[in-house]
Amino acid sequence: MLPELKPRCSILLRRSCAKAWEAIFLLIVSVLISKAVAQSAPQLFTLTHPAMGTVFTLYIYAASREDADAKANPVFDEIDRLDDLLSNYKETSELSRINRLAAAQTVTTDPETFEFLSDSLQWSARSDGAFDITVGELMKAWGFFRRQGRIPTGAEFAKLREETGWKKVKLDAATRTVRFTSPGIELDPGGIGKGFAVDKAVVVLRSEQVTAAMLSAGGSTVYALGAPPGKTGWKVEVPDPRNPKSVLSVVTLRDTSLSSANCSEKHFILNGHLYCHIMDPKTLRPVEGMLQVTVTDPSATNSDALSNVLFVRRPEENVPLMESLPGDSALVITGTQQKATCHRMNWKAPVAPGHC
Amino acid sequence: MNHMNRRQFVQSISSAAVAGTMLRSAGAKALSANDRVRVGVIGPGSRGQELIRQLLRVPDVEIAAVCDVYEPRFAQVNKLVGRQVPAYKDYRELLARKDIDAVVVSTPVALHAEHVIAAVRSGRPVYGEKALGFTPDDCKNIVAEVEKSGQVFQIGHEYRYAAWVQESIRRIHEGRIGEPTHVYAYWHRNNNWRRPVPQPDPGGKLEHLINWRLYRETSGGLLTELGSHHIDIANWVFGEQPSNVLGTTSIVKYHDGRTVGDNVQAVFKYSKGRRLVFSSLTDNASVGNQLWIYGTEGSVQLTIEDATFFYEPKTHQAVPAQGEVVQRGITTGASYQTKNEMPYRGPGEKVETPNAEDPTLTAIRSFVQSIRTKQKPLADVRAGYASAIATSIGNQAIAQENALVVPKLS
Repeated sequence: MLPELKPRCSILLRRSCAKAWEAIFLLIVSVLISKAVAQSAPQLFTLTHPAMGTVFTLYIYAASREDADAKANPVFDEIDRLDDLLSNYKETSELSRINRLAAAQTVTTDPETFEFLSDSLQWSARSDGAFDITVGELMKAWGFFRRQGRIPTGAEFAKLREETGWKKVKLDAATRTVRFTSPGIELDPGGIGKGFAVDKAVVVLRSEQVTAAMLSAGGSTVYALGAPPGKTGWKVEVPDPRNPKSVLSVVTLRDTSLSSANCSEKHFILNGHLYCHIMDPKTLRPVEGMLQVTVTDPSATNSDALSNVLFVRRPEENVPLMESLPGDSALVITGTQQKATCHRMNWKAPVAPGHC
Repeated sequence: MNHMNRRQFVQSISSAAVAGTMLRSAGAKALSANDRVRVGVIGPGSRGQELIRQLLRVPDVEIAAVCDVYEPRFAQVNKLVGRQVPAYKDYRELLARKDIDAVVVSTPVALHAEHVIAAVRSGRPVYGEKALGFTPDDCKNIVAEVEKSGQVFQIGHEYRYAAWVQESIRRIHEGRIGEPTHVYAYWHRNNNWRRPVPQPDPGGKLEHLINWRLYRETSGGLLTELGSHHIDIANWVFGEQPSNVLGTTSIVKYHDGRTVGDNVQAVFKYSKGRRLVFSSLTDNASVGNQLWIYGTEGSVQLTIEDATFFYEPKTHQAVPAQGEVVQRGITTGASYQTKNEMPYRGPGEKVETPNAEDPTLTAIRSFVQSIRTKQKPLADVRAGYASAIATSIGNQAIAQENALVVPKLS
């Protein structure tokens, strides 16, 4: 019999963490707003939009509120379009259609969805399976799909082994088709979808000739477009995972993205043990001993996926991968709530002492 | 009327009754089941690109050429399709190509008649975006030309293809909610319905080209662009097109030079006292896009993703209370029943369908199948007429708005 489960992470903790991120952004933004007002136009505006199970925030310099609205609407429309494309919570999405059909038949899909699947599998190959979008059933078995944490049974683990594995997803670029070689495979876009959406939304911003904006997908993936007037870039503060109110490091971003994976974001606690929502596809279990990963890459798709890779594997395992990405940087914090260790991987910004 | 008779009655104009009808072959060569279908798209704007995206999800379909007067669309199409697609600024050049098997028309509504009629005259099957036509003459001429050509014509009423809508209509026609008497249809949004226009734009030429929906000369406004979907479903439910319409519109928020309203309310009359009430707002989205079909024994909520049934209580019976009555704050079990004067806030009976894919994809796949089989589409030209004519006349009713003055106290 299973012990009583108390998914305490739950929404409250997740929200508090998200709020901490938002608070940090808002703080920076409020300072910038006051300066912008003093200098008159262009002004900084903040717009929010719920999508993909989180809240997207757009910080944008515009001539007026109307101008900001006009520029933001197509950006949020684009995010909604990608939510409709990739959501595994919407039965009508293209990803859900593939999940329903691809074990039984070859599914023809559109070039964009094919690109998304290709990107995902490339990250799986690059990370030797540490990144894997076939964790749909795994997330459900651990109760993360409906935020009702539980530990799968032994029989479930055997089944999950069959239902997980990126090599069971076959793509054919010539026909733009996807096929699962095993039944039960379910794609979960959680580790890359928001980054993919941010990249597409940034294309819209650029097409609108926006030169200074920052787009945040619930704080977990951020893209800094250009720089605020008179600044070299957008400041983003990386919080201490053990004390989200204190700042661990501050980076200035320009035309690049930052993604973070954080265990306190979504988890459940059972018998005093914390189970993180990020899965190790090899063990079929939540990652242990990892507190937070923050990574920068010019592509939000890449930083989103890479943050998961760095979260799943031990820091030493990731050295060759990071060396193959000389433009990227990462700040990885391993350990427990009691003792944390910081691992800087090409991370040039100072890290506040005393935190790890 | 028993269920069988009711079903027979409503099918008298329902497209379901004619689904399966084979069209006589005309024009373009017949395609076999495995032949590649080469599609030309006239008007690859936002909706046209969505149709292209869905076409690319159907095996053995190729986007052969596109046509648009706004050239930036061509690069967008190339990106979407993943290769250079032959592009034209004149639709006649696209239709002159020999390698086009079918045509999609997704231009502004005021151009539908010109483009659809030219496309069917060229001997190709056509997928025409709704509304079928802009003016009453446009609507009639399109029907006449399509029927004369014998070609496959499918109107872009994709909700006819949504599995949950089809199943709901089937149950409604079976009598599950008794006699359907009213449809209350809402399409509420909270945005200005405006697309960004590149600057500078001398003379507002691009503004009118891109934001054609906002100007009376080129648009039937919210009633046509959004309401036509709902009218089509009401027509399907009631088994006929409306006989009369009254309506009103205003600009309540977006005083930005547009000449169509930013909100619309219209009532459509059907036989036997039945009504469709349509409302569209653009400054409050809490209701979203949904239809309620009210019947004498229940209600159905249709959305773009699902459908849910609710039932009226069968009878009201006075039962003497036995001893002390304790009312608990929590009621368990799903009755799906509405009762009393308070809104029912419990769960409903969700329509479960195995295939809940995007209705536009189902509609497009069905169109491609019709091209191969010459089978008459479920959303045929007459279904398109029945909703489009209602929007066209509805806009006349709104323009004439025969409203009586409510006197104030002096």
